[in-house]
Formats: sequence, structure tokens, C-alpha cells
Amino acid sequence: MYKVPVKRKFCFHFFMNASSFFHSTILLTKINRLSWRPWIGRQQKFLSPRLAVPLFQVAEKKNSWDLLALSETELEEQFVRGDGPGGQATNKTNNCVVLKHIPSGIVVKCHQTRSVDLNRKRAREILQQKVDLFYKGENSDIVKEQRAAEKKKQEKKRRTKENLEKKKHFKEMKELDTK
Amino acid sequence: MRLLTSPLRRMLLGLLNCCEGKGVSPAKCSALRHSLLLRKNFSAKVTAAELVSYWRGVFEANKIPEAQESSEYIVSYVLGAKTFHSLSVGSLSTPLTAEQQQQVQQLSAKRLQRMPVQYVLGEWDFRELTLKMRPPVFIPRPETEDLVSLVLQEESRRSMSPLVNAGHQCPTAVPHPVILEIGCGSGAIALSLLSKLPESQVIAVDKKEASVNLTRENAQRLQLQDRIRILHYDVSSGSWEKLIPWGPVDTIVSNPPYVFHEDMTHLAEEILSYEDLDALDGGNDGMRVIKKILALAPCVLKDNGSVFLEVDPRHLEMVESWLRSRPDLSLSVSATHKDFFGKPRFLHIQKHKAGDRSCKNGFVCPSMHFPGVSC
Repeated sequence: MYKVPVKRKFCFHFFMNASSFFHSTILLTKINRLSWRPWIGRQQKFLSPRLAVPLFQVAEKKNSWDLLALSETELEEQFVRGDGPGGQATNKTNNCVVLKHIPSGIVVKCHQTRSVDLNRKRAREILQQKVDLFYKGENSDIVKEQRAAEKKKQEKKRRTKENLEKKKHFKEMKELDTK
Repeated sequence: MRLLTSPLRRMLLGLLNCCEGKGVSPAKCSALRHSLLLRKNFSAKVTAAELVSYWRGVFEANKIPEAQESSEYIVSYVLGAKTFHSLSVGSLSTPLTAEQQQQVQQLSAKRLQRMPVQYVLGEWDFRELTLKMRPPVFIPRPETEDLVSLVLQEESRRSMSPLVNAGHQCPTAVPHPVILEIGCGSGAIALSLLSKLPESQVIAVDKKEASVNLTRENAQRLQLQDRIRILHYDVSSGSWEKLIPWGPVDTIVSNPPYVFHEDMTHLAEEILSYEDLDALDGGNDGMRVIKKILALAPCVLKDNGSVFLEVDPRHLEMVESWLRSRPDLSLSVSATHKDFFGKPRFLHIQKHKAGDRSCKNGFVCPSMHFPGVSC
């Protein structure tokens, strides 16, 4: 339960249909294949609700990030559940949560789990990451960690390549000796 | 519909055309016809996304509510995921095996009979827990997740209070906190609380044996059976002594039947045909079971103990007014909380003083002091 009451809107069906979902899935594939670059100046393209699927798959090291805190008073939450009295009288399974950060206009949609409570929590986590990137850009811990990870990966590649070449050279030398 | 490949498109068109001039009900005819068509095409390469799209079309043609969501949940379940949006990009484009397609078909056939998705899959999630679901045991609603949050908040507040700590210098080990749930259903509330409060014990009761059994099953699946006592008990019956094996409880929590009787006929077919209506029908004003719980509360609750109830939005005033007419209960509404749609959904009622110990039906509560317990 969140401490400060959040202004909530009762949201009717505006969920994307199958074809636009498919389109956004294809786009998501392309995004994953791009090498991950800082998001300054490019966020707006990825922040419409259609593409507001979690692009941050990191589960490890999340807690060590120092991210800007989100206040509930800055958030606006909507639930895509359609009409009905609610409570016991309704049994709807759409548990999608749409969360907006009012000052920046960033919107996150979360339908990762079958629990509304969990979707709300995850939406906040994802939104917090996006808001942090939005305001801090390259200075965000998220960017720094991604760059460090990329650097480590390149370093490992370089060392592997070096080792392979050394082994190859050694083998060649050995063959020359035996002749 | 441009996502459908041509074999699937033919199936769908065949389905839509099939019921002209036949004596069979359209829904039954559709279900039968498409199942025959599908069986011939199990070898066709179908991806998850295409299958979801296909079944969404079938559900829509048969006027099944939440066509998109239903087909997504069913296909995801068969692929081992909780939701369509948690499937990897790879899973979305990998063709399903014939067995998987058949399983989707079997589950979808149930959905075509208006069976709630939670019963179709035989499971559902409540907060962090996955619980087994079985008709007619009441399916936990998402609003009720917030009821659990309220109890946890109160418990957190209490455990930080110096007064409480002072009172608990008991020589004998009385578990803390002790929570009583009335009407446990599948065990959602009881088991969520147990999993978040490792020191707690729960007494969970239900008047239906099916609920007692399902709660027990879920408790065992989650390895929480050691800290829960599940009783087959009806609040109308009196004999509340069995509810307090360790003395008065800290908290009572309940999502009692609270639907107004006149509203029952407006419920969706999914609910009316498959769920236990006794878990929903609260009588003419929806207050029947609420009143019973509140009448019982002073007998089983510690002083300053809490009752947390999920109710109909109209019940706040009704409960306040009724409690004013029953000063002998020593209960009052200390807070109300809204659900995520902004409706007043949860009542926090507290027992404010020892007062008169007599309960409804002329019972007199015994002395609140139990040997070895100074609480």
C-alpha cells in the first residue's frame, strides 16, 4: 500500500490491439540488438505507451544504484480493467498498470505479472530507472554500469584474442622445430 | 486479423460460417467445429503470437469477455510463463509443438464455456504467491492484495510501538502476531500474511470444506503449513473458543461475502456459473456476515486489536451506524482506505476498551487472562 494517495483515473479500454503489439514487439527486437548507448535526446521516441515495455532487463546490481527517488505525489496511475463494480462483484484478469511521472511526462506500462500489486511495484522500479536516465543522462548509475560492463566485455574479448594468437604462434614455432 | 496465416484464417472463417440453420447452440457448435478443424492442423507452424491472435478471434466470435487477455494467459501458461508480456522475444516467434497446441485448445475449450481463466489454468497469483485454484472456491480479487498491505502496515507500526513491546515480556512463548482470518477461501490472505510475517501464526477458518481443503493444499505447496491452523467453522455457529488456541488474537482479517443480494443477478456469468455464491452473497444489505464477524470480535480480539474488512463502498456508513447502535461491542471504525479505483473498500475497526464482555447470543466472554500470559 502506498503512503500518499495517488490521483487515480478510472481507465477504459485503450490497450493496444494485436497488430500494434506485434509491431512494437518487432521494434523491441531491434532495440535489443542495438548496442546500448546513452539515451539523451532519444528518450522521447521510446516513451510512448505503445513501447513502454520494460527495456531494462537487469535484475542484478539494481539495489546498488543511486537513483532519483520518486514521490507518489508526482505519479499518476491508471488500471486497464474496463467497467464494473469492482471488488467481489467483478472477476477481471487484466492486471495492467499504467504509471506516469507527471513532471517529465514519462509513462510506463507494466503487465509482467498476474498480480496487480506486483505490477505496481515493478512499474515504479522501471519508472524510477527511466526518470533517472532522463534527468541524469550520462551521469546516471545505470549508464555508468552499462559502460563498465561493456568495457569489461571488450577487455575480455581482447585478452581471449591475444591468448589465441599466442597459442597459434607457439604451435607454429613448435612445428618449425620438429622439421 | 492480418496476422493470421492462411490455414488459421480458413479455420476462423469456417468457424464463423458453421452455425447457419443448425439446431445446436452457436457457442457449442463453434467450439466443436473449430476443435475438429484445429486437430487437422496441429502440424502447421504456429507461433505464440499467432495462436493468441487466433484464439482471441474465437473468443470474440463467441462473445467471451476479455478475449485478448484470456488467450494470452492460456498460451503463456502452456509455454511456462505467467503472462504474455513476460515471454522472451524468442518464445514469441518459436513455433509451438503439437502437444502445446493441443493443450491450448483444451484449455480454451473450457474458457469457451465461460469458465474463469483462473479455474481454466487451475492456478492464479496473489501478490508474490502462486496459488492453486479450484471451483467453486472463491477466486481472490486484486483489490484484496491491498487488504494484506494494510494488515502488514499495521503490524509494522505495532511492532515499533514501545507499549506493545512492554506488554510482551511473557515467560511462555505466545506467538506474535496471531491473526485470525474468517472466510479463508483459497488461503490467499492467510498465506500472504504468513509469508511476509515470519513470526506470525494464522488461524484460518471457512464454513466450506472445499475451502478448508484448498487452503491446506496451498499452505503445503508453499511450505507454510506449520504456522497455520485451518478450521472448518461457521461464524454463525457460536463456539468461538476454538478460534483462540493461544488466547485472544492481535488481528482479525476478512473478505466476507458483501455483495448486496439484489446485485447478485447482475454478476458475470463466469462468477454465477462457477464460483460459490455463498462466498459473495451478503444478504439484503450485504451486511449479514460483516455483522456476525463484528459481533464475534470482542470475544476473540485483544484490547486495541484490529479488525480489517474488505467491504462494498456503501458499507462504511452502515458499519459506523451499526457499531454506534452496539456500544457493548466496544468497536469503532478507526480508518477507511480506498482501493486502486478510488472506492472506499477497506475498513480498519479497533476494539477500544475492555468494556462489557458479553457477546451476541448472550455469550459471556471468559476472563481475558490466560495462565502465563500477561498480555
